[in-house]
Amino acid sequence: MRLKPNFRFIFFLVVYFCPFLFIIPADVFSADIGNCLLCHKYPGLSRIDEEGKFRLLFVNESIFNKSVHAKVKCGDCHTDIKKIPHEPAKKVDCLTECHIIEPASEKKFSHKDVKTFLEKSVHGKIDIAGKSKKYVEDLPTCKSCHDNPLYRPLSFYKMVRPGISEAAMGRCRVCHKTDDFIFRFYNHITTRLHKIRSPKNIAEMCGRCHNDPNIAARHQLPTQVVSAYGETFHGKAASFLSERVPDCLDCHVRLGESVHQMLSHENQFAPTYENNKSTICSRLECHPKASSKLASYKVHPVFDRQQSPKQFYFRTFFIILTGGTLLPLMGIMFLELSRRLFPNLTFRRKGKGDGRPDDQD
Amino acid sequence: MGDRMIKIKNGNKYFFRFTLNQRIQHISLASMVIVLVLTGIPLKFHDAHWAHHLYALFGGIHYAPVVHKIAGSILLILFVYHLIYISYSIYTRQIIPLKRKEGLSAAKILKLLLAQPLVPNLKDVRDIIGLVKYLLFLSDKRPEGDRFTWKEKFDYWAPFWGIVIIGFSGLIMWQKVFFTKFIPGEFINFALIAHSDEALLAALFLFIWHFYNVHFSIAVFPMGTVFLTGYLPEKLMVEEHYEYYVKIMTKAGLEHEILPPHDQGDHVPMKRVYSE
Repeated sequence: MRLKPNFRFIFFLVVYFCPFLFIIPADVFSADIGNCLLCHKYPGLSRIDEEGKFRLLFVNESIFNKSVHAKVKCGDCHTDIKKIPHEPAKKVDCLTECHIIEPASEKKFSHKDVKTFLEKSVHGKIDIAGKSKKYVEDLPTCKSCHDNPLYRPLSFYKMVRPGISEAAMGRCRVCHKTDDFIFRFYNHITTRLHKIRSPKNIAEMCGRCHNDPNIAARHQLPTQVVSAYGETFHGKAASFLSERVPDCLDCHVRLGESVHQMLSHENQFAPTYENNKSTICSRLECHPKASSKLASYKVHPVFDRQQSPKQFYFRTFFIILTGGTLLPLMGIMFLELSRRLFPNLTFRRKGKGDGRPDDQD
Repeated sequence: MGDRMIKIKNGNKYFFRFTLNQRIQHISLASMVIVLVLTGIPLKFHDAHWAHHLYALFGGIHYAPVVHKIAGSILLILFVYHLIYISYSIYTRQIIPLKRKEGLSAAKILKLLLAQPLVPNLKDVRDIIGLVKYLLFLSDKRPEGDRFTWKEKFDYWAPFWGIVIIGFSGLIMWQKVFFTKFIPGEFINFALIAHSDEALLAALFLFIWHFYNVHFSIAVFPMGTVFLTGYLPEKLMVEEHYEYYVKIMTKAGLEHEILPPHDQGDHVPMKRVYSE
């Protein structure tokens, strides 16, 4: 019997690494009930999949344990894997119920509600009339935006800063005795109090589709909106890793709702609907005293002749002014330096008697 | 006049150019412009890898904009002070004496203002044409500059215009909530273009053109000192302000020590030229 190359590789790994099982300390597997890290802990574990793509199969346990899915068993998401060694795993369905119990409802946790939200949002695949939208393959699925994010805890002791507040943990320990439990809940709650990603990361994530000229053309969207955001102070500050400036989600998502419920700017309930824009700028966290006029500021300034002719010509004026000022002056500098090499050379010598003191001799 | 206009040190002549007040204004302007450029350029070129390192020197995104605003405010205050200084100087030294002597009229005041040494005039146009001819080897005579050459007038009026444009647009962006009570938010987009592009022009102009003329030109290299001492060495006076130099030397009764223009060989005193 001849094994396929992929299986041969997996078989080789299993046979090769099984002896090491007996010399690895037991605590390595404490968070890995399915023993998946037996193989997946090796950084070189990888293969070329059926589509010819390189797949890194290594799982860094210490990083994974700081992620929001740390408590989810491998098998809860990779439901098709029942034995080791396993066949190539199917793609994970994020709507699968896992074994985590959601404390409020005490039911098994699932991301199913996200699907309901997403279907009604601007990124849903069905339009208002119930028909399938055009080019649904362009619309995002869970993994278009999400990977396995790490916790981003916040400390609120005396000041707000990233990280864990040991002072707060001290208060937790009065009632909650297991540090692992405290640590995980602290991380969970404080990570949710702010965004799990910086404005820069969020803009980059949205830009994967919204900066793609082909996708923009297919969906009749303005081009280069994310790059244009980068040209505003908000975007520039975001590129310097400021967390205090608004990113895409701050303006495009209604307060109190999830990003998965984002509406089109043509929807009258969307914050980006023309008549609602001023309420975005004048939010308490942003410019609370701003008048409605501030909202006419272009936050996605693409200054080309078609989209913003006034700004285009204004910028052109400054470009011409810069070139028209500097180029002649630099030309003079260059000629002056050249002239010093040949101070007495001239194609047309002036006549004598030009009134200088030395001519009077 | 001669005592103040010409200072002799170690046998070398130095010609008065700027008062202490003017030098302090210039140094304040220069240092604030450098701070503004260092804290502003990283924002304009935020994608460049060096921008993050440069910005970090000023405290990164949380503190560098504060430094930028403080420097900008100082520069605007300096600009207002300069306007008052200039107006007061012209009023007390020229308009009041003129009023006492001949009486005032709008035409006389306009004529007086147009005759100010830093106001561009027809001689500047002639000097530019003359310089271009000289540089293109069409003439062997370099234009003989007056008290302020066209280059210096350019150096004065370019930042003057720049501060108005950059300062006003900066104020709009800084106080956007206040200004957008009166103007549409779209004007902030115009303000950003004007602020950013004019600032780049100003920075390039100052660090290339102005620095070349006052520090890096072969005649001045490695550094001009007039902005510190207020006095210009005779060699540079002859090179850049020959017409004014002759005027000052004549007024001081030093006609016999007038040097030939710079293009007449090395700067040897006239007497020695004659004796040879």
